[in-house]
Formats: sequence, C-alpha cells, structure tokens
Amino acid sequence: MLYSLTRRALTGSAILLFATSAVPAIAQEDTTLSIGMAAVITSLDPHEDSNSPNNATSRNIFDSLINRGGSAENKPQLATSWEVLDSTHWRFKLREGVKFHDGSTFDSEDVVASLLRARDKESKAFASYTRNIAEVTADGPNAVIVETTVADPMILNSLSRIRIISSDYADATVADFENGKAATGTGPFKFVSYTPGDRIELDRNDDYFAGPSEWSHVTIRMVPDNGGRLASLLAGDLDLIEALPAEGVDRVESSDGMHIIRGQSTRLVYLGMDVARDQTPFVTAKDGSALGTNPFKDERVRKALLMAINRDAIVDRVMRKNGTVADQFVAKGFFGHSEEVEKVAYDPEGARKLLADAGYPDGFAMTIHGPSGRYVNDSEVLQAAGQMFSRIGIDTKVEVLPWSVYSNKYSDGEYSLFLGSWGVNTGEVSNPALAIVAGRDAEKGTGRYNGSGINIPEVNALLDEATSTLEEAAREPLLKEVSKLVFNNNWLLPMHYENVVMGAKSNIIYKPRGDKYTLAYEVHNSAKSE
Amino acid sequence: MVTSLIRRMIQAAFVIFAMTLIVFIGINVIGNPVDILINPDLNQAERALVIKHLGLDQPLWSQYLSFIKGLMQGDFGDSFVYKRPALEVILERLPATLELALCAMVIAIVVGLPLGLYAGLYPERISSRLIMTGSILGFSLPTFWVGLMFILLFAVQLGWLPSNGRGETAMLFGTPWSFLTSDGISHLLLPALNLALFKTSLILRLTRAGVQEVIMQDFVKFARAKGLSQSRIILVHILKNLMIPVVTIIGLEFGSLIAFSVVTESIYGWPGMGKLIIDSINLLDRPVIVAYLMMMVILFVTLNFIIDICYTLLDPRVRLEGKG
Repeated sequence: MLYSLTRRALTGSAILLFATSAVPAIAQEDTTLSIGMAAVITSLDPHEDSNSPNNATSRNIFDSLINRGGSAENKPQLATSWEVLDSTHWRFKLREGVKFHDGSTFDSEDVVASLLRARDKESKAFASYTRNIAEVTADGPNAVIVETTVADPMILNSLSRIRIISSDYADATVADFENGKAATGTGPFKFVSYTPGDRIELDRNDDYFAGPSEWSHVTIRMVPDNGGRLASLLAGDLDLIEALPAEGVDRVESSDGMHIIRGQSTRLVYLGMDVARDQTPFVTAKDGSALGTNPFKDERVRKALLMAINRDAIVDRVMRKNGTVADQFVAKGFFGHSEEVEKVAYDPEGARKLLADAGYPDGFAMTIHGPSGRYVNDSEVLQAAGQMFSRIGIDTKVEVLPWSVYSNKYSDGEYSLFLGSWGVNTGEVSNPALAIVAGRDAEKGTGRYNGSGINIPEVNALLDEATSTLEEAAREPLLKEVSKLVFNNNWLLPMHYENVVMGAKSNIIYKPRGDKYTLAYEVHNSAKSE
Repeated sequence: MVTSLIRRMIQAAFVIFAMTLIVFIGINVIGNPVDILINPDLNQAERALVIKHLGLDQPLWSQYLSFIKGLMQGDFGDSFVYKRPALEVILERLPATLELALCAMVIAIVVGLPLGLYAGLYPERISSRLIMTGSILGFSLPTFWVGLMFILLFAVQLGWLPSNGRGETAMLFGTPWSFLTSDGISHLLLPALNLALFKTSLILRLTRAGVQEVIMQDFVKFARAKGLSQSRIILVHILKNLMIPVVTIIGLEFGSLIAFSVVTESIYGWPGMGKLIIDSINLLDRPVIVAYLMMMVILFVTLNFIIDICYTLLDPRVRLEGKG
C-alpha cells in the first residue's frame, strides 16, 4: 500500500516535471534519460572490440556510412546514396555539411581513415566485416570508392557496423577514446565522461544532422546484476532498463508508473544433434550398452524429437513469454525466411510412432548438454526439453556447464545433443547458415560453429552461390531454399527466438530492435508534444 | 622488525610464484580463452591472427616464461578483454573498493566495539540480550538477501537513498572518490551498511567474549580494589587486554572486505574490484586474474604484518623477532 502511494506520488511529480518543461522552449529544455544496460562494455574505442554492448554504445557518439534499422535494413546515414560501379567497386556519396563534435568538418578522409583503422587493428574484431575490403579511396571530398576483394553482397551490412571517427584520431589508442580525447564523432550525443564498469555520461549534439535528440543529457549505466537493475527502475533511478528479469515482470506490469516493452530479437535458440558420427558418445541403449547406431542420422528420429517438445509451453512458462516459438533461422519479414518450411506441432503420440518406425520402439538413453547463464533461462529450457524427451520413451539426463567450459566443446562437436544459439546479427539467413550448418571448411571459414557436423552438399553449394551474388533478388531464393532444406529435414531443432523485454517508466516510448541494441536517440518521451 | 618484514616478503614471493603457476595451469584446464574472447564471426585465418596477437599460440610453458619475464620488468601483461595493462584495469577499480571497505569497517568498529563492551559488562540486562540476539541475525542473514531488502526498503519503498551506482565523485590524489560529495555518500551508505552488518556482529561477539574473560581476571579485581574509576578500568585495563583477538579479526576481515565483496558490489552496481574479478574469471581473462591474485597475496601479507605491529603496541610481551 505504502509502496503504491509513493509510486504514484513519484510518477505524479515526474509527469508534472515534464509538463512544465514542455512549454515553448522547443528542443532546448533539460531532459535527462537514464538507461540501464544489462552488460558491461569493454572499450569505448569503436574499432577495438565487436560485441553488442560496445557496438550499441558507440552508436550514440559515432555514425556509420549506413544506418542499420531495427529490422536490419540498410538506410543512409553518413552516406546519402551509393551505386555499384562493377562487381567489386562501390561508390558512396557522402553527406555534406556534417560536423564532428570538436567542430571539424566531416569528409572522405575520415571515412578512409576509419575503415582502414577498423580493418588493420590488431584485435581483428571487425575482420568479419572488413575481410573483403581491398582498398578505400577518396573520390573528392564528398565521395569514397570501396574496392572489395570479391563480389560481396553483404558490404552494406558490413559498412553499417564500422563507426566513422575523425581522421585526426586514426592513430589514437584505446585509452585516448576512454578519456574522451579521441571520442569525438558525428553522432547524436557528445562524450562527457566514462567510468569503466559503471557509467557513460553524454550530452546532446544540438547540431546533429538528423535533428537533435529529445534528451539533453543521457546517462548509460551498466548494471549487469538483475536484481540491482530492477531495483533501480522501481526506485526511479533509471528510466529504461534492458533485459527486465522474469521475476520483475509482474511487479512492473502492475505498477502505474511503469510499463513493459516487448519485441522480438533475431537470436535463435536451437537444439543441435550429432549427425556426423556413426556412433555418438552420449547415446546408449537403456541398459547402458552401446547402441551400435547413431539414431540422429535417421530423419524420423530427429523429427520425433522435435514433435516431443512442447515449444509453446516452454515459451509460455519456462521463458515466461520472453521468447517466440521459432521454425527456422529467421522470423517472417527477415531476408531468407521461407514460407515452405513445414511447421512441426507438438505431438508426443506421433513422436512415439515415428521412433518405433525408425527401429527404436523402446527408445534409448541419452545425456544432453547445454550452457548455464549464457542464454535467457538456458538451463531451465534444456531441463524442460529433457523431461519431454523422457515422455516419449527416451531416458534423458541433462548436464549444464559454465559457458567457459561449454563453448569450445560444443563447437568442436563433442556432444550428442546440445543447446546452441546464434544471434543473427545481419538479419538474414546466410550469417547463421554459414556458421552452424555449412560444412566445416577451414579455408573458406565456414561451419565454425557447426557442432552437429552437418554437411549437406546441396546446402553448401547454395551458400557458395549466395555469398557471391550481389543482386538481392537473385540471392533471396537461394537463401529461402537453404532454410527449407535445413528445417524440412530437421537438421536442427529450432526452439525459439529470444524476446527483447525491457522495463520503462510510462513516459518512455521505445521500439525494440532485432539486434537488441538500446539507442538513446531512438528513445522517445510521450510526455512531450506528440 | 626489519628481518621479520624481509622474511615475510620472501614467503609472499613463494606464495605468489606458486599461485601464478596454479592460475596458469588452472585456466588452461577450464577452457580456452580464445573461444570466449573471439568474435564468432571470424574465420579460421583471422582467428589465428588474433590468437597470435594475444600470445596464445605459444605452448603454455612458453607463455608462462614470457609472463615471468614481463613481471621482472613490472609488466603484468595486457588484459585480454580490456586490451589495456591488467594492473591499470585493476588499480582504477581500487579506490571504489577501498572506500567501500574502509567505510564498512569504520561502521563495524564504531558500532560493534561499544555494543560488545556493553553487552559484556552488563550481560544480565535485557538490552544486552537484545543486542546479542540482533547479532545472531547479523551473522546468519545472507548478505545478498539483506542487500536486496535494504534496496527494497530504503530505495524503492521509502525513496531515501539511491539503489545503485557510485554517484557523484570528487578528485583527490588524482583518483575519484565518492565520500567527498554528499551524493556520493548517499550512494555509499547502503552498500557499506550491508557489508558492515556481518562484520559488526563478529566484532560485537568477540568483544563481548573478551570482556567476560578479562573481567574475571585478578588484575581487574585488583584495579577495582585499588579504587580506580570504572571508566579507567574499562578503557585501559579491559579494552587493551581484549584487543588482541579483535585486532586480528579486524585486520583479516578488512582484507576479505577488499578482496571478496563481490556480492555486495554486484547488487549495488559498485564498480569495484570484486565485480571485476568475477567477470574476469567468467571470461578467462588470465592477466587480470593473475595480477589480482598477486595483489591480494601482497595485501594479506601486509595486513598480517600491520596486525603484528599492533600486537607489540598493545602487548609489550609480544616480540616480532621471536615469531616465525
């Protein structure tokens, strides 16, 4: 009771505050936004490390040539338009009149310096985006030509990943960025201060080319502890938090001053099976003796396993709606989604029959593996799946390990059945397919995370073609076919896409992005005019 | 005293040497840092480049040798994760942890010692019994639970104190400190109280036990017979004699506050070293783990030495030279 009273009083005064400040003064009034990030960034140097928290944070200060939208679409940012000169040359026309935070003018020199710096950094963090860049040359002050080593259909996506810094700081060290000296970009916010492991303070860039942000000051707090992040939201210290913990859902939902923001991410969680070996190490007959065969090589067994899992129940109860049932690599609307993938429904009776048809009327015994604390509710999801397998007559033991132990064992294919996941960060099918179902080939760099040992010549050939085709219209049917071949033969068992679940004060409007980034510029304040 | 210090330093060097070996081998057994640190989108050739850049392409013994070589020049190596010198990464978190630990220790001593003295001198009073019961709670309630309850009560319900973070800081000796600003102190209060709770109970109970032991001794009876004032008996004769175990505990607990306040730092988002070490273990950031543990060994050796010096001040019969 006391709780709800203070809550109401608090939000009341908050609304009053916004109301009074929203009078004529156009976009110049003081509005502060505090965001609670669920992860800690490792560096403010935008080219040093490529992980979601770093890349999301750097977008507040820096821009890229291409702006990646929430559904992974490529939109103009510092480049206003682009054209394909020939299969390995692209010309980008640059936005004119853009200024860096330190007042210097943005031009093609900055683009050349930034792209090459990202490519040549010793950490090689951006290598997957820069590996095809052969040369970048200025074409006058307002255009650049990017030459690629091979025809690269993903170059726009790659360029959307690389932040443009001022050429004055091409040789700056990591420390120069973290103390603010080199942290001057063209982005919507200016660097104020950075306390590692704690917070980043930003001020609005009033001259931002796309118009100033609604927020005059932004504080990004890094609060990886679930309880702490939730408490800070409830206490009103933070306006918007990432990854609202499941235990806070009811609390936030029932409170007047706050609401939950949900969206779908592109992170696919799946079960992989050893389909390569003739005998797989963690599957035995029920009495513990060797089975003699690898049941996962039989398509009927794989399908039976998928039919045994009640994915709706897992998403609903285990994930507490923080997930969406998946049937293939990417959800509808993303590039390479196939309508021809057959949806497999929960059907334990049918699963038993299929097992019997495949020659396992009494089932078998197996140990399944997964990480703990890496994906949302990962160990609970695996345990639930294990119980469901037991119900169709497969005695299942579940083993979960810390990520540091698990990660290389699963990618090396040591397990028989395992929980895997892939964040589809390009928003299209070639990215997950190349990593987790393409045949492992060190030279081509494919199949690095193919822990199942999947190797289908047809899929490999389709992927080869798709990665060297520039025209989107020609690429799409190839990738759709990949989706269809993989999932209609149940080479992977798709579980769910993780949802983006955020907690926010009522006045905060935000549309979650597929890449889970929280960008202050895209956060809106409903207490204002609109 | 100097020989004693030197002897301890030699001992510490051996401990550090053994520990670096254990950490190197241990992390190698847990898993390969490469699999965690490297962007999964890299292909094999690019992975090989990064592995070489991190120095992880060498066999373990040669990695160890180059680490020792760097150590001789005072270089702990660069953190795999933060790409900066490991020592620098740790030291920039040190002030936050230090002020939190100091603050908690001061609270524990200021509250624990007088209450323990009182409970020991007047064990029959109801207030003493209440204090002792309370101390059992302080002992047995888990830190993380109390921490969350504090947040729920003081930050969420009452809204008196902030729930998270370090607040505003002010510079002193070139490092930022929270205790110099009022906003910083308000942020410091809850985590410090949370950490102090267990320590307070510990000091309180130790003091009480000490008082009850000392008060029965002949020299106290004699002092009383001599007609000394009560306050002099308590402050000089009783307190000084019960301080040896209390000082030992204060010293060791202070060390553990600095080294292991992981839970409290996580709950309150306090950017200190405890949080750093847990993150580093999860990411197998070996340079940070090794540098941190080395610092902790040195810290505990130093603390023990300071404790011993305090002994000689408290009890002239204790001589450092005679001890091992």
